[in-house]
Amino acid sequence: MGIGGRSGIPHLTPALSAPGDGEGDSGERGSGVTLLLSLKITIPALIVAFVALAFAGTAMAAGAVVVASKIDTEGALLGNMIAEVIAAHGIAVERRIQLGPTNIVRAALLAGQIDLYPEYTGNGAVFFHRENDPAWKNSAQAYAEVQRLDMAENRLAWLSPAPANNTWVIAIRGDLSRFPERKCLDDLAAYLAEGGRFKLAASAEFVESPSALPAFEKTYGFHLKAQQLLTLSGGNTAATLRAAAEGISGVNAAMAYGTDGELAALGLTALCDDKGAQIVYAPAPVMRQAVLDQHPEIATMLEPVFASLTLETLQALNARIAVAGEDAGAVAADYLKTKHFLP
Amino acid sequence: MPGPAAPAIGAGTQVPPIRLYNHVLPVLVVVAAVAVAILGFVTVAPNRLVSGRAVALWLAADPGLSVAVALLGAVLLAAACVSPRRAVHRATIVIAAALVLLILAAAGRAAATLMTSAPPAMRVSLGAGFWVLLGAAGLAVLDGLQRARAGIVAQLATALVIAAGFAAMAESGLFDALSLAREYRTRQDLFAAALTRHVVLVAAAIGPAVLIGFPLGVAAVRRPGWQGSLFAVLNLLQTVPSIALFGLLLVPLSALATAVPSLARLGIGGIGMAPALIALVLYALLPVVRSTVAGIGGVDSAVVDAARGMGMTRRQRFWRVELPLAMPVLLAGLRIVTVQAIGLAVVAALIGAGGLGSFVFEGLGQYAADLVLLGALPAIGLALAADFLLQSATVLLRRRTAQ
Repeated sequence: MGIGGRSGIPHLTPALSAPGDGEGDSGERGSGVTLLLSLKITIPALIVAFVALAFAGTAMAAGAVVVASKIDTEGALLGNMIAEVIAAHGIAVERRIQLGPTNIVRAALLAGQIDLYPEYTGNGAVFFHRENDPAWKNSAQAYAEVQRLDMAENRLAWLSPAPANNTWVIAIRGDLSRFPERKCLDDLAAYLAEGGRFKLAASAEFVESPSALPAFEKTYGFHLKAQQLLTLSGGNTAATLRAAAEGISGVNAAMAYGTDGELAALGLTALCDDKGAQIVYAPAPVMRQAVLDQHPEIATMLEPVFASLTLETLQALNARIAVAGEDAGAVAADYLKTKHFLP
Repeated sequence: MPGPAAPAIGAGTQVPPIRLYNHVLPVLVVVAAVAVAILGFVTVAPNRLVSGRAVALWLAADPGLSVAVALLGAVLLAAACVSPRRAVHRATIVIAAALVLLILAAAGRAAATLMTSAPPAMRVSLGAGFWVLLGAAGLAVLDGLQRARAGIVAQLATALVIAAGFAAMAESGLFDALSLAREYRTRQDLFAAALTRHVVLVAAAIGPAVLIGFPLGVAAVRRPGWQGSLFAVLNLLQTVPSIALFGLLLVPLSALATAVPSLARLGIGGIGMAPALIALVLYALLPVVRSTVAGIGGVDSAVVDAARGMGMTRRQRFWRVELPLAMPVLLAGLRIVTVQAIGLAVVAALIGAGGLGSFVFEGLGQYAADLVLLGALPAIGLALAADFLLQSATVLLRRRTAQ
């Protein structure tokens, strides 16, 4: 049926089967009727009870601000921070942390099912189909642009962003021989021109999207041949980073995100993009204006929190979740407490 | 372990020929022995992200435990050579169950030993050798139960004893050093809620699926002409990826919730339980309808004719003849649907409905295999438990109807 695969769990063969339990003996008659009659009553009753129970748990508290996030590590971290801060100021919060992938969370916001979640300014380029506009490569312009477009088209407010850039980067292993000390993309171009061994693990999107690898290649003047690429279908940097860290299939470089916490733990270094080839992805809460009108103080209470989230801070916090395996909610609460962001 | 002493024939000692009465146990023991020899019992990684280095059982676990595992394996091998009697099967069950617990204890002890004086970032995970060994011991238990023709009560008792042993060891902190247990500990508060939510999702999906699917199946039996188009639609539904289905449901459900605020207050909306349940119900329809058609359609037409000859009305024929006769097939279908729904409910996490899938997807995102297992293993346990319960219900029902 092919559905087992989709669930992510292999289908099980029933192991605990009663012996001598052959199917299809037709010995029973008549007396099954009483049993069936009782089933006729109990089954619907059970169903009603279960459905009621299912929804009772999720019934929305009236007037609560619904905070959501994407299903990834940083989404969980930032979503928990937002929820924690708002709740600490006495506003009722309903948590929808790790709601789903970007398209689901964005659609839920547009449909009014959630009120705010952390999003990246650079994704405005995708939402509004303006990937070729150079404005996205400047952090202030990108923020102003997405703020303007989302307000005009969707009545969504972008609150103050964090001074961090979670853009695509190329990370290399520490043991690349003869790689220049400085570790920027210029140096990669020089290294490749000298015929240095290089194999990059990256998602298909990174390899093909004009704003990703082709933008790096154009800006820094290098070209990766097909045999220098290991293309994976998903956009999961955990997989690419691991391939590079363990040298799987000769891979010694990986597609990564700027704020990935795993880089240091895996002995990988992100090459700096000092010519600004990439779109800037600064994290910021995006919120329905209608809800912001009811609670305008949310913008001011989140501003200092996001202002404190530098690239290094986010890397360190993400590492606590991804490398040390701490719970995102606990890491968020701990950070807010130690930085005295909670009243 | 010789059977009844063989009479010595002539002079000198003649070894009685060893006879294998059970061919399953030797295979299991050999597979387990090979696995232990060549695969790592546990893996040790410097941190949660990289894959670990395999460590063999005798290097990882306390020598006493390793020897005990080997001894119990040898006893199982010997048990295969004893002429089959009920007592032998019972002893096999007890030894194999003890072996299961011993393997678990060995893994816990191995992790604790490896983690002493190791940096806290280090992770000890269960290796391939552990899983093969545990699987072999578990199959030996099942083989013993089958050979002993154990009833539901005996099966349940065996499962409970093993579960209680596991719980006691977990409670004593024996597994605390294992990576899987550390993942559990950081999410302890969320775990019970996720497990409950998973069960609620499955239960709440199967009810409507049966309520819709059963009448559809009966209708398809009465009008065979409908079957082609009905199954075409149901098959098509199976091919829609869940994430696409969630995307399709989000907008209309949100609009519905906005238009009817009382529904929104009930928690029905574009995200959460409502879309997850709709998806699970839609996916469960095909197996429900299929087994209904197989069950009701498979009733011998001669029996139905006889019932008609006796003057039974259509309604009587259905409730008194067709449905009871189809019951075993219908219940078998329900088992399949339930086990399938338990696996499928993992995707509910993608639309914010929670459940064990939230650990699976978080783990996939972080490439943390033990976090994926934290979601997957309880789902497997639930599926096995549901299967066992429904199987027992079938047996009990049949016993009752047979009286």
